[in-house]
Parts: sequence; structure tokens; C-alpha cells
Amino acid sequence: MGLAAWLQERLPVTGDQLRELTNEPVPNHLKRWWFALGGTPAYLFVVQIVTGILLAFYYEPAPSTAYDSVKYITDTAAYGWFFRSVHKWAATLMIAAVILHQMRVFFTGAYRKPREINWLVGMCLLLCTLVAGFTGYSLVYEQLSYWGTTVGANISSNVPVVGNFMKRMLLGGDVYNERTLSRLYIIHAAIMPALTTALIAVHIAIIRMQGVTELKFEDEPADKPAHFSFFPDHLYTEIIAGLVLMILLSALSTVLPATLGPRADPLSTPEVIKPEWFFYVTFRWLKLFSGTFAVLSMGFIVFTMYAWPFVDALIRKKTRFQEASVWIGIVAVLAIIGLTVWEAVVAH
Amino acid sequence: MAEIPYSPLPPAGEPVDRRTFLSRASGIAMAAGLAAGYGTFGAMAGRFLYPAKPAATAWLFVADVAGFAHGTSLSYTAPDGATVAIARQGTSGGVEDFVALSSTCPHLGCKVHWEGQNNRFFCPCHNGVFDPKGRAVSGPPAEAGQSLGRYPLKIEKGLLYIEVPTERLA
Repeated sequence: MGLAAWLQERLPVTGDQLRELTNEPVPNHLKRWWFALGGTPAYLFVVQIVTGILLAFYYEPAPSTAYDSVKYITDTAAYGWFFRSVHKWAATLMIAAVILHQMRVFFTGAYRKPREINWLVGMCLLLCTLVAGFTGYSLVYEQLSYWGTTVGANISSNVPVVGNFMKRMLLGGDVYNERTLSRLYIIHAAIMPALTTALIAVHIAIIRMQGVTELKFEDEPADKPAHFSFFPDHLYTEIIAGLVLMILLSALSTVLPATLGPRADPLSTPEVIKPEWFFYVTFRWLKLFSGTFAVLSMGFIVFTMYAWPFVDALIRKKTRFQEASVWIGIVAVLAIIGLTVWEAVVAH
Repeated sequence: MAEIPYSPLPPAGEPVDRRTFLSRASGIAMAAGLAAGYGTFGAMAGRFLYPAKPAATAWLFVADVAGFAHGTSLSYTAPDGATVAIARQGTSGGVEDFVALSSTCPHLGCKVHWEGQNNRFFCPCHNGVFDPKGRAVSGPPAEAGQSLGRYPLKIEKGLLYIEVPTERLA
């Protein structure tokens, strides 16, 4: 019995069935590069899993060892600086790609009926990415990451009713203590990756069930076929995108490697505490308003983002502003950019 | 005259047209690029995971034993940046008079200092107390059973030496 027949008997899948399963017709507009922004965070997520597993071989999540183990990875372990820098830059690019992907979906109205549920899944993926970013930075245990975590926990305690519960759950006590880091580590390295993997699976499954939103561009000839094959055409596109990302990550990691600030000092509060860039908008918003109002309004904004497909449907049904979401989106994007730049340029 | 298709391969088998050749060549180039790129990444990962040689240490001079008074201590910075508190706790003149302890508190990494009047090492962050040998006696380090790290010392010709990790020469 040949190997093919042996395998066929144990894995009763034919080549035709495999082709049928993987060869989804892809609408032509996906040849335009900005529609590859959904695959980009997925690729970067795989980079994060691989580099994260590598870093976990040396990282020790306890206050007495965390900083030294990061220092060991950065200064001593062979290529440790490279893997740490790739992990950091892939996180930065992943958050940027997720935001750009969400903007693309928003401005092309791809969240509208019947794709509301996938928008909700996407929102969960955005929050998972941000939580992973927050907890990941806190693991370095340098001065700014320690105080960033402390400030973050204090902000969550401003939430009415459940605030203190949330803070205690995050810190594993009333204040930052020797059990805090292992909590943040488990959230970062176990809960978020598992949750994100599951959500990505659901996200893609829903896309496969409904198909990608069909868009037609004016400059396309009418007689051109509307679809091309996933395999090999779109797969090649994805491979090229992956290689370009790897080159970009390697270049960024080499030219601007991840640095290590002074060790966390629980006794001395730094004069300027800043979170990572992707929280600048939140941080500036929180500084503009008093504690409880700030977190409640922030919660309301996140809730509105979740509910947007339904809010948009209501606006389109009840008013004559059919494209109101585009203008609301433009205002929101400008506000996000404005608050981020504002936080970036001022010292306090 | 019939047109003879250009063939990059010797005309042994079927002639290959230009389109097929370019498509095959670019496919091979792409596969080679992928293998080289991700292969390098994999090789680096292997090198990263393979254990490094133990950190190089060296015996370095600390102080003249005769000039190191009983009950005093000094702060010593190792070449790798670690700070070490070295205290003299006896008068026999032997190496057992001295103790060299890491100044980094095992609780949250604050700086520990020697309090001669209280005969203890003290961490001001959360009132961690260590006895003269570096064992945690109260505060969070004692609850967690974490003591201060010790460094080996020796005396040669009346001079005190400490064995500390030296900075990696890269």
C-alpha cells in the first residue's frame, strides 16, 4: 500500500474537498492594498505568539526578578534584544493595523446588516489587543511601566460600584504587591492570547459564512471577472505582505531597539507619567475631566462603538442623513488624532 | 520559417516558453527568499534558546582590611551594575568578619541599607528587615521567605576581595 493510500485511509479528505474548503472566491477589490489590513494584525499576532513564547523562556514574573530577567534578555541572551524589539514593534504595528482595519470597515460601511455580529467580535479583538498592550508594557517593571500600571489601576477604581473590585482583581490586593506581576503576566501571556485566538477564529468563520463585503470601484471595467481565487492569488498577496512586515519589523528593531529605563522604584513617583502611545487619547481624556465622569464617559464611548451598527441603522431609518456615519467617523478620527498629539507634545 | 520558441533549458525535453520559465523562476526565488528569511529567524531563535555560558566572574579588590572598621559598611557597585552592601561585623581579622549582600530587596527591588545602630539591614519601602547575615526577619520579605543574595569574599595579604559578575565583553 502506498503512502498516499495509507494516509487517505486515515485522513479521508480528498484534494478536491481541500480545494473547495480553502478556495474561497475573493472579490476583486481585495487586490487594493488597504483591504489587506485585516490580514496584517492576524500575521502580527502570529509574530507576537512566536516571539512571546521565546521571551517567556527567560522572563521571570516577580518584582525581584522581572527587571533583571528583561535586562538579561536585552543585554546578555543571544539575539535577545532582537526578539524583545520585534515583540515591541509588532505590538505597536498590530495596534496601528487593528485601528486602521477598523477605520476601513467603518468608512466602507462593512459593519452594516448582516455583519453586525462580526463588528462586535472585532470590537472585542480591539479591546483584547489594548489589554495585551497594557499588561505587556507593565511586565518590563521599569520605573514608567510600574507607575503606568499603578495609575491604570487607580483609574479603574474610579468606576462606580465595581471600580474597587476591578482594581483589586487587577492588582491582586489593594496596592501593587509581590503577587501583582504574576497576575499581569497570566493576563498577558495566557488569557489574552487564548481569547484573541478564539475571537479571530470566530471573526474569520463569520467572514467565510457571509463573504467579504462586495465593493465595486468606478475605474474597474464592467466585463472584468468580479472575483479571483484565494489560492494561489490571494495567498501570494498575504505571503508578500508577511515578508514586507518582517522586513519592516527587523529594520525597526535594529534601528530603534526596545530600551530599558531605570528599575521600578515604588518609593519615588516620576514627575511625568505617560502610558504607551496608544493610550494617549484615553489618558488625555481622563485628564480633561474629573475621575468618575471621565471613566463613565469613556465607558459610554466604548459602548457606542460596540452598538454602532445598530445606532447607524436607526439613524438611516429615522432620518434622511444616510451617510451620517461618515461625518461622525471623520470627527471621531480627528478627535482621536488631536487628543493623541496633544498628549504627545505636552509634558504634563 | 517556423518560429522556434526560446528555451532557457537545454532542448532535451519539452520546450519551455518564456512565461512558464519566468513563473517558475519567480516561484523558486520566492520559496528561497521565504526559506532564507524565516530560516534565519529560526536559527536566531535556536541560538537564543541555547543556554549561554555561565556569567564570567572575577575577584575584585574592595578595601584594606585594616582600614575597614568594625560596625561600618560600604556600598560596592559591581561591574554589571549590581550594588552590594559590604559590612564588617566582627573583629577576628578573618574573612568571617565580613558579609557582602545584594542591596536589592527581594520583595519589590528597592535599595536596602545597613543600619549599624539597629544591627540590621533595612528596606524603607515596606519595612523589610534583614538580620546581619541577610536573612529576612520581618516585613514582606520574611513573610515570603526571601533573603538577600550573598556574594563570596576572601582576604589576601590584608586586602578584602569580592567575587562578582563582570560585564560581558561583547
